[in-house]
Amino acid sequence: METTLQPELHQHLQDAKARIDAATAAEELRAVERDYIDKGGVVAGLLAAITTLPPEQRRDAGQGANILKGAVLKALGDRKAELEAMAIDAARSGHGFDPSLPGTSIRRGSLHPVTRVTRELEDIFSSMGYDILDGPEVEIDVYNFERLNIPGDHPARDMHDTFWCEVNGAERDSNMGLLLRTHTSCVQVRTMERLQPPFRVVVPGRVFRQETVDASHEHTFHQMEGLVVGEGLTVGHLIGTMKTFLREVFQKEIEVRLRPGYFPFVEPGFELDARCPFCATPGAGCRVCKQTGWVELCPCGMVHPAVLQMSGIDTEKYTGFAFGLGLSRLVMLRYEIDDIRHLMGGDTRFLSQF
Amino acid sequence: MFISYSWLNRHVDLAGVSPHDLARDLTLQTAEVEGVEPFAPALADVIVGHVLSREAHPDADKLGITKVNVGSGEPLQIVCGAPNVGPGQLVAVAVIGTNLPDGNGGTFKIKKSKIRGVESMGMICSERELGLGDEHDGIWVLPFAPDDNGHLIGLPVAAALGATEGHYDWVIEIDNKSLTHRPDLWGHRGIAGEVAAILGRDMRPIATELPAHGDAQSVPVHVESKGCSRYIGIAIDGLKNGKAPEWMRHMLLAAGQRPINLLVDISNFVMLDVAQPNHLFDRTELKADGILVRDAREGETMVTLDGEKRTLSTADMLITSGGEAVALAGVMGGEASKIGESTTQMLLEVATFAPAQIRRTSQRLGLRTDSSGRFEKHLDPTLPMKAAAHLVSLLAELQPGISLPSAPSEGGAWTDPACDVRVRPNRVRAVLGLDAELLSNQRMEVMLTSLGFGVSGADTESWTVRVPSARATKDVGLEEDLIEEIGRSYRYDNIPEQRVLAEIAPVPRDERRNLARRIQDRLSGSSAFDEVMTHSFLEGNLCEKLGIAMEPTIRAINPVAEGYERIRRSVVPSLLGLVPNNLQLRGEAYLYEVGKGYLPEVTQGEFQEPTEIHEVGLVLARSGSVSVSVADFANTSLFLLKGTVEDLLYSLERARPGRAGIPGLVWVKPGEGELIPPFAHRGRCMVAFASDAKGNATGPELAFVSAIEPGVGAALGLAGDSVADVAFASVSIDSLLSAPEKPVLHRPIPRFPGVKVDVAFALGEDTLASDAEAIIVQSGKGLVADVQLFDLYQGEKVAKGMKSMAWHVLLQSDTKTLGDKDLHKFLTRVEGGAKRIGGELRKD
Repeated sequence: METTLQPELHQHLQDAKARIDAATAAEELRAVERDYIDKGGVVAGLLAAITTLPPEQRRDAGQGANILKGAVLKALGDRKAELEAMAIDAARSGHGFDPSLPGTSIRRGSLHPVTRVTRELEDIFSSMGYDILDGPEVEIDVYNFERLNIPGDHPARDMHDTFWCEVNGAERDSNMGLLLRTHTSCVQVRTMERLQPPFRVVVPGRVFRQETVDASHEHTFHQMEGLVVGEGLTVGHLIGTMKTFLREVFQKEIEVRLRPGYFPFVEPGFELDARCPFCATPGAGCRVCKQTGWVELCPCGMVHPAVLQMSGIDTEKYTGFAFGLGLSRLVMLRYEIDDIRHLMGGDTRFLSQF
Repeated sequence: MFISYSWLNRHVDLAGVSPHDLARDLTLQTAEVEGVEPFAPALADVIVGHVLSREAHPDADKLGITKVNVGSGEPLQIVCGAPNVGPGQLVAVAVIGTNLPDGNGGTFKIKKSKIRGVESMGMICSERELGLGDEHDGIWVLPFAPDDNGHLIGLPVAAALGATEGHYDWVIEIDNKSLTHRPDLWGHRGIAGEVAAILGRDMRPIATELPAHGDAQSVPVHVESKGCSRYIGIAIDGLKNGKAPEWMRHMLLAAGQRPINLLVDISNFVMLDVAQPNHLFDRTELKADGILVRDAREGETMVTLDGEKRTLSTADMLITSGGEAVALAGVMGGEASKIGESTTQMLLEVATFAPAQIRRTSQRLGLRTDSSGRFEKHLDPTLPMKAAAHLVSLLAELQPGISLPSAPSEGGAWTDPACDVRVRPNRVRAVLGLDAELLSNQRMEVMLTSLGFGVSGADTESWTVRVPSARATKDVGLEEDLIEEIGRSYRYDNIPEQRVLAEIAPVPRDERRNLARRIQDRLSGSSAFDEVMTHSFLEGNLCEKLGIAMEPTIRAINPVAEGYERIRRSVVPSLLGLVPNNLQLRGEAYLYEVGKGYLPEVTQGEFQEPTEIHEVGLVLARSGSVSVSVADFANTSLFLLKGTVEDLLYSLERARPGRAGIPGLVWVKPGEGELIPPFAHRGRCMVAFASDAKGNATGPELAFVSAIEPGVGAALGLAGDSVADVAFASVSIDSLLSAPEKPVLHRPIPRFPGVKVDVAFALGEDTLASDAEAIIVQSGKGLVADVQLFDLYQGEKVAKGMKSMAWHVLLQSDTKTLGDKDLHKFLTRVEGGAKRIGGELRKD
């Protein structure tokens, strides 16, 4: 086709193509388009000049101008596509990329580790149909001791290192005596007074012991009480429940052992030990379990008939079991926290890690 | 409690049972063993030597040069200063390289040495050097006749003495707490009884009857106190005090008891053996009227044998003679009548005292003794006579010349607590979760009898089980107690696990807990606050600084430290207490806590329980000064916190975000007379209410947000160089529960485009933004879909006493696309509205 172009048109096409080939940006192509195709451009000039030509040349001249226009447009289009492809290729380059530059930081908050573990346990027990209950932290003697089968002069009271309380400098009498609850077990009594068996409940919360604070002792820590009352409940059910729970927490089969333990509100009473989940070889012993291969996990037992009876529950019909999980201890195990004081210390350098 | 393995072996044959096996069995069936340690481990390292000769040291009068045969090689030359060393003795030799205890918990190594120029190749040891008590008068001459025991020479001393697992003896430590309910286990014989039952072996018998006595007048005994149910006094003559035999001293040491002298040691030995405290009086110090057990008189004093003068009350019980106290009953003996080295005549006291009374006395005087600890566990009243027989028999073995001049005297009104309990084998299995195949009636019967219980009617479905007195004082009285006995004998560990089967039913919703969870999720999530847990105690100094020291609080009587008595009424003060430290460490603190507070002045219910409040407290603190320019309000802690609280209340569906220009929450500044916390900024605090359809406050107060009171800030050290912008908020969860829920409702997406226009007012500086926004909304006649303040200016460009505020306003209709005409009408009305609140529409 080019061969049919007159030399003048051919020159135009050569010029245009040279510019197009040299173009490296869209604006340069646009300039070529403006110079050749747009109103007032070369092609328009050629077409306008046709009227000045003799009639017999007009047809060829017209055709030539249109051929020039088509050829320039095609060259423009091709070059444009080429440039776009080059741009994408260039964008694909990883030149100078430094993956080690820091991610842009965003402000983030934190949930307290005790909250995190409490929720995990609540969710496990919820999924097994347990109610989650709450109870007061400032308690009265009746609920913390008496109705748990720990009357006034019971030596078991010594184990509790109780914070006794007063109001306006006045202590209160015997069973109304104010104290900071020494265990979440008080809520057992409150529950039995309120609910009719059968029921299954867990009660997370803070408890208090008058203890000197050091890396492994806090006067304020967290427990989770469990209480299940119904017909035909046995020690076997207690073991089964604790095993299921541990399997869920640690996401693996955990061997447990049950041994005698004394708590006045259960009979029989047990201590539940779990095979230390941190030993390299199960049972081999490690720092966490003080080389024994077992970690003491929770006191538990069958609810003492006197406790059931004090709450008006028929002990011939119903039996029950109860357990008291050391939440703070689980938290420390889970996150490898070596100093319990961090939990209540309010230092954001600690908190913001969670 | 420390239990000696050899001591246990006195009561039950432990052949083939290692200390560690024993510890495991006891842990799984009886009580928690906390540790198993060798006793006097040095005895495994020193060897038996035969002293061949002793010559005087040429340069030191008191030293001797011995030659000692240690079985192999040439006899060793050892320089020894002990006066009692002599040829023919078998002794404990620490050869070179042996480690011995240094008495401070560490060890030291025996080295070859020269003593006054003479080479010494080891050491001949005293008992003290081997961790066997305080004896250091001379070397320890081993209790072997050398002629018959040549084969022992060169053996480790422990092996020569009959070692168990390489050691002379083992100490098994039992957790005291796990024995709280078992008065019978506070002695070796009790533990041995458990071991015998576990192993299926018989107990070795001990004396239970006193020997014959003479016809002399008995020591009179009278019991006045109700707290003494039994008192036995036994006169013993012909005593010669001295040193207890080696085996007894060593066993006492293993059990953690320091040997004193024969008589005191025997008394302690019997207590640690059969768990019956007892007391020995020098009978010559007692008066002719004998013994009277009576309650103390108020203010009466006595000197106990630790040398302390004790002031007593009527709640205490005394053993008296001739009107004078000779012992504080059940707790400690008196100084005056205590046994001495020269005592030849004594009165042995074995008694049963009321647990509660002993416990109270010992608590009040802060005097916990081995005796009081046992009495408060509720001892068996049949035990005193048996224990007396045991003591007299032990004494007679060691001093055959003793005699009982008179019949024992007795006082008190005791009854045998032994009782019968009905036990249904089926019930036992039902509670333990076992069937008859796993636990037969026959096996149950064996378990009970081997623990000392009597079973009758074993061929029926309802047995009568006789509980012996030793178990009946407190521990066993119910069927469940015997279920425990059978369960632990079976070993709980062997009980197969079962799944709880129950009806499927939804778990009741706990709205308070749900709210707390949603609060935590929002604040720790998008609001990016740190959740904190603080103590329920408020420190006194902090209360002073916050101005709340005078508020009524519940107080701990025995705080963990002085100044930590107060139990908090609300959460925010605890959080403010954390601000200074966290600012110093990190320059900012975004903290919240979901917690409880206690109001003692409002009590509820049968037991007058204090009111418990539930709230979330928030603190937002940043180092640096608070901007004084109102225009910077958006970047103050106060308004950041206000925004956080607004978002929280919306997310909790206690208010809905504003729409069509109506705010979601109405914020009100408390009036001059209204009560706010003393640490709140009177001029910069506000209270939130939900808004009704017209934008008026409705329902309970939802939140309180405030800047910190400047004086309080300064008191906390947040002034001067460490100045900080501190705001706090409290949201009452109790109020949220009572506030009507405003669940999220879908709002249709507008069908027609809106028109955006900016509106700026020049206003008096006291005019509220909300008043200006109300004008804008009214001017829209229902078309204002959104109003957003974007500029607040006060300064040169506006007149003094004025401020400029500007809003982005969105006008939108549900029925048409708005045009210039609508916009023009709106702006005209806005212009008029601005004048009504004393301002004007700015057109620049």
